[in-house]
Amino acid sequence: MKLARWTAGLLAGLSMLAMAAQAYAGEVRVTVAEYSSKTGPYFEEVKKEFEAANPGTTLKFEVVPWDVLLQKLTTDITAGTNADLSIIGTRWLIDFVQQGVAEPLDEYMTPDFKGRFIETFLSPSIMEGKTYGLPIAASARAMYYNKELFEKAGIANPPSTWTELQEDARKIKAAGAFGYGIQGKEIETDVYYYYAMWSFGTEILNKDGSSGLSTPGALEAAKLYKSMIDEGLTQPGVTSMNREDVMALFKQGKVGMMITAPFMMNQIKEEAPSLKYGVAAIPAGPTGARGTYGVTDSIIMFKNSKNKEEAWKLLDFLFSTEQRAKFTQNEGLLPVNKEEAKMDYYTKDAGLAAFTALLPEARFAPVIPGWEEIAQITSDAVQKIYLGQGEPEATLKDAAAKANGVLKK
Amino acid sequence: MRKSKLVRSVIAWLLLSPLIVLTLFPFAVMFLTAVKPRPEVLSPTWWPSEFRWSNFAEMWVATGFGRALLNSLYVSVLATVGAIIVAIPAAYAMSRFRFAGYGAMRQFLLISQMISSIVLVLGLFRLIAAWGLIESTTAVGVVYMAFNVAFNVWMLQSYFDTIPRDLEEAAWMEGAGRWLTLRKVFLPLCLPAIAVTAIFTFINAWNEFIIALTILRSQENYTLPIQVFALVAGRYTVEWHHVMAAALLATLPVAVLFAWLQRYLVRGLALGAVK
Amino acid sequence: MYSRALPYLLILPSLFLAAVVIFWPVYDLVQISTHDVSRFGQLRDFIGLANFAALADDPDFMAALWRTGLWTLSVVAGALVLSIPVAMILNSDFYGRSVARVIILLPWAVSLTMTAVVWRWALNGESGMLNSALMGLGIIDQNIQWLASASTAFPMQVLIGVLVTVPFTVTIFLGGLSSIPDDLYEAAALEGASGWQQFRTITLPLLKPFINIAIVLNMIYVFNSFPIIWVMTQGGPANSTDILVTYLYKLAFRVGKLGEASAVSLVMFAILLVFTMIYVRLAMREREA
Repeated sequence: MKLARWTAGLLAGLSMLAMAAQAYAGEVRVTVAEYSSKTGPYFEEVKKEFEAANPGTTLKFEVVPWDVLLQKLTTDITAGTNADLSIIGTRWLIDFVQQGVAEPLDEYMTPDFKGRFIETFLSPSIMEGKTYGLPIAASARAMYYNKELFEKAGIANPPSTWTELQEDARKIKAAGAFGYGIQGKEIETDVYYYYAMWSFGTEILNKDGSSGLSTPGALEAAKLYKSMIDEGLTQPGVTSMNREDVMALFKQGKVGMMITAPFMMNQIKEEAPSLKYGVAAIPAGPTGARGTYGVTDSIIMFKNSKNKEEAWKLLDFLFSTEQRAKFTQNEGLLPVNKEEAKMDYYTKDAGLAAFTALLPEARFAPVIPGWEEIAQITSDAVQKIYLGQGEPEATLKDAAAKANGVLKK
Repeated sequence: MRKSKLVRSVIAWLLLSPLIVLTLFPFAVMFLTAVKPRPEVLSPTWWPSEFRWSNFAEMWVATGFGRALLNSLYVSVLATVGAIIVAIPAAYAMSRFRFAGYGAMRQFLLISQMISSIVLVLGLFRLIAAWGLIESTTAVGVVYMAFNVAFNVWMLQSYFDTIPRDLEEAAWMEGAGRWLTLRKVFLPLCLPAIAVTAIFTFINAWNEFIIALTILRSQENYTLPIQVFALVAGRYTVEWHHVMAAALLATLPVAVLFAWLQRYLVRGLALGAVK
Repeated sequence: MYSRALPYLLILPSLFLAAVVIFWPVYDLVQISTHDVSRFGQLRDFIGLANFAALADDPDFMAALWRTGLWTLSVVAGALVLSIPVAMILNSDFYGRSVARVIILLPWAVSLTMTAVVWRWALNGESGMLNSALMGLGIIDQNIQWLASASTAFPMQVLIGVLVTVPFTVTIFLGGLSSIPDDLYEAAALEGASGWQQFRTITLPLLKPFINIAIVLNMIYVFNSFPIIWVMTQGGPANSTDILVTYLYKLAFRVGKLGEASAVSLVMFAILLVFTMIYVRLAMREREA
């Protein structure tokens, strides 16, 4: 034990030395997630503009691929070499807050600054009354449908309920395409299942805070997806397709309907400009309930940052209407800034309007520690069901029990 | 007399062909995707409607390929040369001296090979951070060196053991010192083994991923594997033609190395007749 | 005097390098695995073996453990069986031999991560080039969803594992084969030994040390190999292709259980250690006999 303390002390001492050498006065290091090939160049521009306006401050952007961002942050924080600011998935924020890594931003925020944000997107970053992150990226999900396939199958309007969706998928199948694309692999596999689950009136967490997976609504949703897979109304090989794979099929005109994020519109513009598609609401359940998934990524300030003043200045700059518009439109996301949302770009575009119309129904990932583990448990369970390796009811019960185990901790 | 060389060649190629097809398959995929015009990338057709060679040039600029190439070369050469320099004395000692702890050393070397870098990445990162060496490509090179030293010693010792002592002893008889003998007689005989071992280290370093990913953080220091991976990992759109072009170009230096050392290897192996 | 200290001086640098870079982190791992540890690596209370106990209770861990065994054995055995004849062909004299050698070694020139990315892309059920190639050749008439379930995904991963292990193994064997003098074969041929007999009585025994090296090193590399499975399926669907390393990665960097993840790595280390000890012991006894 003594040895452990000694080595820990030694390490801490050494790393402080190292930190002292690294943290130049006036340098702000920012870890940013790479959304697309446009992310890096955008932040290069920011660096140029900001440094010109603020002589004496230098910016250093570290662009990290999304898939390894959490690993990198973990190793960094473990060794005390994290940056001053970082983009993180808001669903991770609770861990950062509980471990005392994130700095509350309230004392920096003027009412005017706070007023820039659309409430829905700022609120997931507020915990116990304090704002720990600012929503740098926001997105929601809606249903894309292929107009040509709909015409060919003789369908006039996009389905408004899951029953209609199933009917339409049958017609599209008869017309020789895949009816409804289901994502069954990697990140957001669970979310793709929640779209149906929410419509059947089940939430991720019940009112008493236990897992919703053992409720009848969850079972209905699982049975619905499973029956569509068995009937061949989806693309084949559901469990081998991640979000990008299903999106690729949609862009090729092979899938009639799918649910995904607004950025697919940008991609279609570039990659499949001749594709005729529409964006509609996510279908409702028997009671008219429906839900979309709202996601934000937050930019946070680390507690151990040595340059908080300069870092805040940068945040202030990043959240100006002009900068926001540039970033959001580059990446095909939704506006988080009220002024920005009024721009023609967002209001005149039918597709984007469909997304913003869904926002009142948006559910965000619940703010609980261990959320990633519950998402993993849910994904595993639905994969088992899709593959037919487990009876829906038993599998969901089992998953609910595991999730409750995590929730209790 | 055995079958003519021509017949043997046909048989050899036939026997190898299934493996060759499987081996070349991913390269064909890479190449054909790399030269497709962007709208065709996602369709499963094999042949592009036209060969878009400009993809390579675009990729070079868009991904900062040149810089990553230099970084990779630096790290790999450092690791290779360093590991050989450190390993030769150790392998020589283990082959030519009897000393207490010989067995322990051999075991130790083997054990140090057993730990995957993923397992070590956390502790390693803390170590590097404590020394303030994050972002340092040199540190990455040294870590690779350390990871490969054991294998180097192991391989070199196995080879040194096959070189008869008489040769050195003969040289000593003639009054040459140990050092001179080593340089003039022993090491030249070992060149092929050194070359082969160096290839191993070079390739390991060239392709290593997880350590570089953890230690290096700004794009100007990225090595090729992370640079290419960054194009794929979790982006909302993947520009596959660029990814494939980059992956293909990244293999070239090693492929050239193979082709070049091939001749060297064969010539070196002829020395085996000494025994 | 001088020659007594000399060998130690000579091995010192490599000893030092390996010890600092490899064994310090291992010490760190032991620390983490026996403590309650925060999401970001701060050590709290000493909890003894609780993390290890948690693993033993986890069915996913046990499944991954067995699958790791299967994965390692099949890849190493596959690569071995394939590499011996390939190395023998490449060692014989034929037209285009150096071209053939370069081709066989080529997979090695690509990082595993990239190989896996390319294969994943090629194995895509609807837009993958493997399905379209097989269709074009008339071998299949319907797309195969290679990665949709473990029953096709895992064999594919093993196959790719074998393919990327072959170059390394062949190289070792080529080195071994070239150390066998030709006159041995000539003498055997004079005595009328058949090709198979020559192989059994000359090639195999003389190749033995190289085979041993290949087995031990490949076992270690394949056991620890991460990219192929991670990139293609992330151990899914539903953990059905997880091996220990992918399981560990998820534990550590997705879920944030650094303590249990460190315990997994120590278990992996222990398994390899025991395996190698036994193997080296057996190999050495054989040599003495």
